[in-house]
Amino acid sequence: MSAIGIVSMRSLPRLRAAIRAFGFAGLALIAVAVGLSDVIARAPADATGIGPVLAPPSSQFLLGTDALGRDVLSETLHALAVTLIHAGLATAITLAAGSLFGFIAARLPWKSGVVVRWFAGILGAVPALLLAILFVGIATRDYAAIAAGLAAAPLAFSRTYDRARALSVSRHAEFARATGIQGATLMRRDLAYEFRDTFLTIAARALAAVTITLSTMSFLGFGAVPPHRDLGLMIAAARASYLEAWWVAAFPALALLLLILFARLAAALDEGERP
Amino acid sequence: MSALEITDLRVSRPGAQRAELERFSLSLEPGETVVLLGEVGSGKEAIMRVLGGLPESGYDISGTLKFANADADRASRHTKPHPRTAWLAGAYPSPLNPNATVLSQLSRVLARKLGVPVASGEAELNVVLRRLEGAPPLEALDAPPKNVRAETIAWGFLATAFAQTPDLLLADHPLSGLAPLHARALVAALLAEQKRAGFAILYAATGTETARMLGGRLIVLRQGRVVEEGPVERLATAQAHAYTQTLFKGALGEPPPPRNTGRGEPVLQVYGLEIQPRHKNGESARDSLTFELRRGASLALIGEDGSGRRDLARTLIGLRRAAGGRVVLDAVDVGILSENMLARLRRRIALITGDDDVLDPRMTIWDTVAEPLRAHLRLPRNILNDYGEAALKRVGLASLKPNTSIAALSAFDRRRLQVARAIVTAPVLAVLDEPLRGLDAFAQSVMLDLLRNFRSQEGPALLVITADFAVARTLAETALVLKDGRIVERGALRDLPQNSTEPFTRSLIEASGSLAQSGLPQAGGEG
Amino acid sequence: MWRFLLLQAARLALGLVGAVLLAACVAALAAEGAQSGAGAYFSALLAQLNAFAHLDFGTSIISGIPALGELGLRLPVTLELVGLGAIVALVLGGPLGILLGTERPLRAAAPLLQIVAATPVFVASLALLWLAANVLHWPDMTFPVFADRGDLDSTVRVLALPVLTVGAAGAAAIQLALRRATAEAMDEPYRRGLRLMGLSTLEINRVYLLPQVLTGLCRSFGDIALALFAAAAVAEWVFGWPGAAVLFLKSVALHDWHVAALVLFVFAAIKFLADFAGELGAEALSARSAAT
Repeated sequence: MSAIGIVSMRSLPRLRAAIRAFGFAGLALIAVAVGLSDVIARAPADATGIGPVLAPPSSQFLLGTDALGRDVLSETLHALAVTLIHAGLATAITLAAGSLFGFIAARLPWKSGVVVRWFAGILGAVPALLLAILFVGIATRDYAAIAAGLAAAPLAFSRTYDRARALSVSRHAEFARATGIQGATLMRRDLAYEFRDTFLTIAARALAAVTITLSTMSFLGFGAVPPHRDLGLMIAAARASYLEAWWVAAFPALALLLLILFARLAAALDEGERP
Repeated sequence: MSALEITDLRVSRPGAQRAELERFSLSLEPGETVVLLGEVGSGKEAIMRVLGGLPESGYDISGTLKFANADADRASRHTKPHPRTAWLAGAYPSPLNPNATVLSQLSRVLARKLGVPVASGEAELNVVLRRLEGAPPLEALDAPPKNVRAETIAWGFLATAFAQTPDLLLADHPLSGLAPLHARALVAALLAEQKRAGFAILYAATGTETARMLGGRLIVLRQGRVVEEGPVERLATAQAHAYTQTLFKGALGEPPPPRNTGRGEPVLQVYGLEIQPRHKNGESARDSLTFELRRGASLALIGEDGSGRRDLARTLIGLRRAAGGRVVLDAVDVGILSENMLARLRRRIALITGDDDVLDPRMTIWDTVAEPLRAHLRLPRNILNDYGEAALKRVGLASLKPNTSIAALSAFDRRRLQVARAIVTAPVLAVLDEPLRGLDAFAQSVMLDLLRNFRSQEGPALLVITADFAVARTLAETALVLKDGRIVERGALRDLPQNSTEPFTRSLIEASGSLAQSGLPQAGGEG
Repeated sequence: MWRFLLLQAARLALGLVGAVLLAACVAALAAEGAQSGAGAYFSALLAQLNAFAHLDFGTSIISGIPALGELGLRLPVTLELVGLGAIVALVLGGPLGILLGTERPLRAAAPLLQIVAATPVFVASLALLWLAANVLHWPDMTFPVFADRGDLDSTVRVLALPVLTVGAAGAAAIQLALRRATAEAMDEPYRRGLRLMGLSTLEINRVYLLPQVLTGLCRSFGDIALALFAAAAVAEWVFGWPGAAVLFLKSVALHDWHVAALVLFVFAAIKFLADFAGELGAEALSARSAAT
């Protein structure tokens, strides 16, 4: 009402929506490229000797060849597919074990949620990358995607737990309880609004985070297992020759970067950032 | 020489259908008071923002401004207020940094305006506070805003403005949200200082009561244009324009018609409820309360913040355990119920409050109205739709899209939505907690009509919590007056103005009365 | 104030207890038969907790030396890397975070920042290596050849790339924390309110906004520490530094659980200590700001 309270934020939601749309469009494009990889790629995954060794990009091999004569374009597409599938699985695990569980834990009876929150805080005190590597060490590399998802879950859990606790003691929750709206209805309300309004954002943010974790795990030798190479493993294999033949690492790195970038844009830069 | 001259000031947003302010002109003499009255969006906020030097970015501004003896200048985004201009802000909500103390911030403001060190600014503030009758001591300001009462902050703002010895005081809703008792004292101090120092006042107000207290010249604005202008005394009794008539309808103060509630079922029965006053010396002599509230009847709990009225209300509706005695709500002793059962009982209670954050900002208009119906009654969709639409129509929100989120609504619309939500629950008891707080005169008038209509149609018992005697008298028949946790008086609101001898009650009555009744000095024509 | 200190100390203690529990869970895997069933594992866990209580952290199955000794050799290397990286992170990320949070025109640069922030640490480190080799023509720095620290040129070459890698990751975390805090502070009504009352924007930002932003930064110390250590793990691997992070990777790969557990405990403890220090710093800033 007074001169102080009026702030113009008209442009912000539209800009965010545009950024989000651009991000999802990019992810869709990547998904289409991955879906058509068998058509676009000239060779199956890990097919060696397709072309000369370490040939630079040319009209014949658009992204060049690597040290084993593999077509970098084909390999990048196949690796992108593997990365996307693993990242998708890891994201689903993060959402279920992290975000959703955090939301429910905030409303567990007898303050048992506090104990779970404490435990999530302990796990969250270790970098997600190292936690994921630990899980892979205990299981095997076959479970890398699950490990990455579980490693990202503590942070997602803590975020939604804290948010759910804040909601449950908010003025509007108090008002609702004072008028007979019970806890279960309030939880359904919060669940519906939080996940309806922010599900895509949370999912996109989780996708970006687990993609970084998974690719780094593979690079360090704790992720994908050949012949199902992902982008991280592909870049790791390129280490021996990329100083002379930059294309063997640059293009997979670019594909990885684009995937992560589009995921972050699809989250509308929602890490407390403003455009 | 005028203190302020505004010529053809126009403020508009590019692409908007109408200008926010359309060719506004004003000449303000030294010692004169001009009150700008109107709803949100009437144009008074635009005037204050331009004069304050912080207009909305991206807006087109034209016209000329002349402060005191300075040259007339084109009005623009870069207009700077004259150095001898002081800004008087409202304390609710607080415009101060939430982490620093009120005292440090006001001292710093004063230091900058006077060009002295901060310590000197604090000393100046102290001098003025000591001089002002009714002002709190300096130490009362030495805490973060959330730990300082709104009226104390308001005194601090007043003292800061006076210490600047301005020629022109720009008052931006400084009394908004304050109880009438404190508002009265602040206005008295403002007028006394104006008489002493001779500064001009340009005051943006929401309520007609404030205009009455201040006196001077009144300019009524609506949708960016002046609809009426003249001395407050004249416009308060005889208005030419229908809109001004609406504002001065005298909505507040008219008691509700007498109701025969003898046959109504008892909704709230209280037996020997112990009320603990807060004595400074730590003694805890207890009051004991026994009364009955029937369906259709009403009771007002009148008192300032901290008087215990809210604690009492919470006890009466089962949100707080009673220290002693019994509370029977809708024929059920709340003292023996579990929390779950109490929650079920509270379904029959509606709450309408003056807080704008009690509705979930994520929800839509439709969800807010439909939630009690879905949760409590599990009605089929078509019946639910009918109830919801009827309620929204009654409160005048049917024209808004049902999927509009609460966050996008104005305070007035949210208040009306609370009434719609109350309507659909068909409550036996409605608790109204400062339902008119922060609303402008027009919105108050509409809100009162809605509440009266709600009461007559749904017929719940009313429990009104307010610091404003006029609001209590308009909505309720009987009252309990509370101070420091103790009941100081009780009786029929119709009779209290004539019969009350309790000093605190009398002060509340006088604070909500007219200028002539209060005996405050007249303003405007002097200085 | 005492109440606050006690609360934070209690939080730190609970965190460290949790870290010990986590380390014990990992170290228990080394016990014979621990992975054969829940009962056996639980017995191994209790035995491990008992060993920790006696300050017995086990022995490395790779080197044969006590796990604590292994850590003692490697941890200073990681701390050096993280420490230097933190300085770089502060120098890069601090001004960037505040500028991007406050200056409207510069917010247009945020998309560019997203490209940098979206780059995984290992990609960035390989890119830096490529630039060093092909543009600056530096000799290969990926082998753990540590030149005489008296030779400044070699020292810079050895340190530059890994420190820059860690520093860039830390800068991303710092600028994010600052931008988040700045965005919250910029939206507060007091900035406008105090302007109208007569304070200048500069004074409001200096006296009120900056402490609020720095308080937000303090509260993010733990997250920044996590980012630095995660980046250190990759940097040690890529550039061949014999630090604790790469020790962890090797321990996990070779199932040297005692060493892995100890490293895990240390990293978690550092994070909790960073949180503790951050909360103390935030409280001190708030108290100072209240009296200003």
